[in-house]
Amino acid sequence: MASLGQNLYKADLREFAFVLFEQFRLGEILGAAPYESWAEDDVRMVLSECYKFVCEVIGPLNRSGDEEGCHMEGGRAITPKGFKEAFDKLYEAGWKSLGVGHEYDGQGAPRAVTLVAEEMLSGANPAFNMYPGLCVGVGELLETFGTPEQKELYLPRLYKGQWGGTMCLTEPQAGSDVGAARTKATRNADGSYNIEGTKIFITGGDHDITPTIIHLVLARVEGAPAGTKGLSLFIVPSVRVNADGSLGEPNDVVLGGLEHKMGIKGSTTCVLNFGENGGCKGYVVGGVENAGMAQMFKMMNTARIAVGIQGLATASAAYLNALVYARERKQGPSIKKFKDPTAPKVPILEHADVRRMLLDMKARVEGIRALAVKLAMHQDLAQIHAGKDDALAAEHNGQVEILTPMLKAYASDQGFRVCENAIQTLGGAGYISDYGMEQYCRDAKIFSIYEGTNHIQAMDLVSRKLALRGGADLKKFLGDVGTFAKRNAEHPVLGGAAQQLALAQKAVGGAVAAMMGWTQEGKIELVPLYANRFLEMMAETTVGWLLLEAASIAHDRLGALGRQHPDAAFYQGKISSAVYFALNVLPAVAGRAQIMSGGDDAALTIPDAGFAAI
Amino acid sequence: MKVLVPLKRVADPDNANKVKVTADGKKVETTGLEWKPNPFDEYAVETALRLTEDGTKPKTRAGEVVVVTFGPKECEITLRAMLATGADRAIRVEAEDDQLDGWLVARALKKLVEQEKPDLVLLGKQAVDGDTNQVGQILAELLGWPMATSAAMIKEDGEALLVGREVDGGVINLKVRLPAVVTVDLRIVAPASVYSKLTKADFKYNEGVRFAPLPAIMQAKKKPMAVLKLADLATDTALRIQYPRFEPPKGRAAGKKVKDVAELVDKLKNEAKVL
Repeated sequence: MASLGQNLYKADLREFAFVLFEQFRLGEILGAAPYESWAEDDVRMVLSECYKFVCEVIGPLNRSGDEEGCHMEGGRAITPKGFKEAFDKLYEAGWKSLGVGHEYDGQGAPRAVTLVAEEMLSGANPAFNMYPGLCVGVGELLETFGTPEQKELYLPRLYKGQWGGTMCLTEPQAGSDVGAARTKATRNADGSYNIEGTKIFITGGDHDITPTIIHLVLARVEGAPAGTKGLSLFIVPSVRVNADGSLGEPNDVVLGGLEHKMGIKGSTTCVLNFGENGGCKGYVVGGVENAGMAQMFKMMNTARIAVGIQGLATASAAYLNALVYARERKQGPSIKKFKDPTAPKVPILEHADVRRMLLDMKARVEGIRALAVKLAMHQDLAQIHAGKDDALAAEHNGQVEILTPMLKAYASDQGFRVCENAIQTLGGAGYISDYGMEQYCRDAKIFSIYEGTNHIQAMDLVSRKLALRGGADLKKFLGDVGTFAKRNAEHPVLGGAAQQLALAQKAVGGAVAAMMGWTQEGKIELVPLYANRFLEMMAETTVGWLLLEAASIAHDRLGALGRQHPDAAFYQGKISSAVYFALNVLPAVAGRAQIMSGGDDAALTIPDAGFAAI
Repeated sequence: MKVLVPLKRVADPDNANKVKVTADGKKVETTGLEWKPNPFDEYAVETALRLTEDGTKPKTRAGEVVVVTFGPKECEITLRAMLATGADRAIRVEAEDDQLDGWLVARALKKLVEQEKPDLVLLGKQAVDGDTNQVGQILAELLGWPMATSAAMIKEDGEALLVGREVDGGVINLKVRLPAVVTVDLRIVAPASVYSKLTKADFKYNEGVRFAPLPAIMQAKKKPMAVLKLADLATDTALRIQYPRFEPPKGRAAGKKVKDVAELVDKLKNEAKVL
């Protein structure tokens, strides 16, 4: 049972090592540019030390942060007890510099390694990890688009956690429709701008962790075009910063209020009023006006991957905790002895439906993790080939584009459902607060909403990503899945599962053709109606594929090592995940394709007044 | 002060169910095990770091901390973890796990101590795999040095150490002249248990062993790692402790219900033989 200050977070380091080294062969890219300072041993040590750190420093604040939440005091946001100290320890230990380049005192680790470390940081305490996560996000945006002076002033301090960061997009009338933003920017003679407007739902918009917060604010310069094309991105510190990095006057950024939320209660969600008193100064990113959306997309893509990892991380933590509980909790006899009233009580792990839930959680968690690491490996390979083989780099970047909305949406949707199943596994103990399961579930709900709702992700996939480079990325993706399925169709253990994968791959191809048909036939409104389900089909096909890839590696290793080897159960578990997913989940992909081919439009044709008589 | 810390990697004690015995029962299967530094040895390294610094400036070392282990190449990751937390250099003595016992390790360490000339050898009180609790004591005897085991408190006091030893019913305080051998117990990593002469008496450490910061982990591979042959340190490498057979502990037998106190007493006396 959890109590205040006790860490609940668990990770399976063997699984991390498998995904990185055995499945995605990370070792092959280590030791050479740009990862010349990295070796396999470094990665192993980094992961085990990071795990130790999150369990001892961040994990113990997860429940207490949820119970205490954030509050306002004298117009300022106050974070839960211990957050500031843990933040300082995090930067002292250097974990947020893992993926930062050497030129900014970072370790330049491959994305795949950073991703796994981020899974641990998020999993141990998703609310806490928002604050440092935003420092990195703002830093990366300025590293890409900032002027040399902006980089010099802001980057070292953001990357070292001395200054906080936010992304300020949402306004009361401009949520998913960002182009409706009304925040105004007025040019000053000195090259700065006066910023005026209200932003809402700003994560980390105010807190007591850093002395200033670097807000990135989307605003419209007077006279700029309407819609997203007229938005510019501004650097707006909450406390002004001088050219030498020292802090100046407050910058007229006023905390208008804190939201009360379902989950991630340790993370502040703020209403921010910029320039209420006419004294809020901003600086346009990169010195370029009307480039705000393109610039913000860079940060949003990183953030969408990060949200996918949050979904994965929370789900994984919930799964492993449910597993531990199921091993210990005794209830009822084995069904094989149902006639014997004196039969011994068994751990609930022995009950078939508990095993089904656990294997379902395991398969989804591992499959999503494989999807995430695959995405990160494509990022790393794109970076390795950039400037040497641009066509190959573009191919890898194309896969990143396709996988990003899938990771964000599928990991967040399924993450929530895994947490729900974790509660179900614990029964009543899962519904009460003491075991931490209900917090995982509450925390996980936001992931399908922020950083672009999952419908935005589905529309991004369907209307933008599938058509990128003339559909070449989609073709490559379907080709990779098809080749794998065909090659393994006669596999002695995985053959039946591979055949299900082939059917799912075909169904995805068919669904793409159906959607193209609707567009040509003037039934374009069917596309958003089915987009979420299409994304799910494609993500499940990806997860099924990567689980089977892992299982085929595990099968080979088992053959080589024998069933007495200490790793045998681990590898058998990998095979079970893949077979379960292929035979219990993948058939529904073809089922959804069939639903799509019917093209039912009841949700569109029902009269508005027909939804209810209220 | 120069401190030598011998340490051992052990199968992850949190994952003990992964430990298997080979089919012939001759040894413990080591392939595929998750390794961790023996916790008591980790405490010994933390103690060595505390004794060679001012607690407020943990990045500056006053003296030297040398870590040594016996084992195959993969043990170097255990040593590197210690270099990352602040040890200055590492020595690995090439050996296989089943070529070693406490007697041999202690004799090889004696030779190494003669070469390295540390002021203090700090060890964990025992390794949590074999639990033999011998190496520190044998080494002290071989060296003819003063010894204190199961230390829960160490304070540097001129050329000597004040050591609080955990014993049944309390703590015995000893003054130990250097050079010496000290083995440490769990409470040595409490916030106020170790003081070098540089650390002020009101300073409090964080509970437990320190974290290895990421930059230090990456820099640790640049610190010296010497590899020695076992034969260079011990001429006679025959084992004194023989392990004829290993077997995993038996699972717990199911309990029995007794009718009355008389039957309980009878069973405790004649079956369990505890009365």
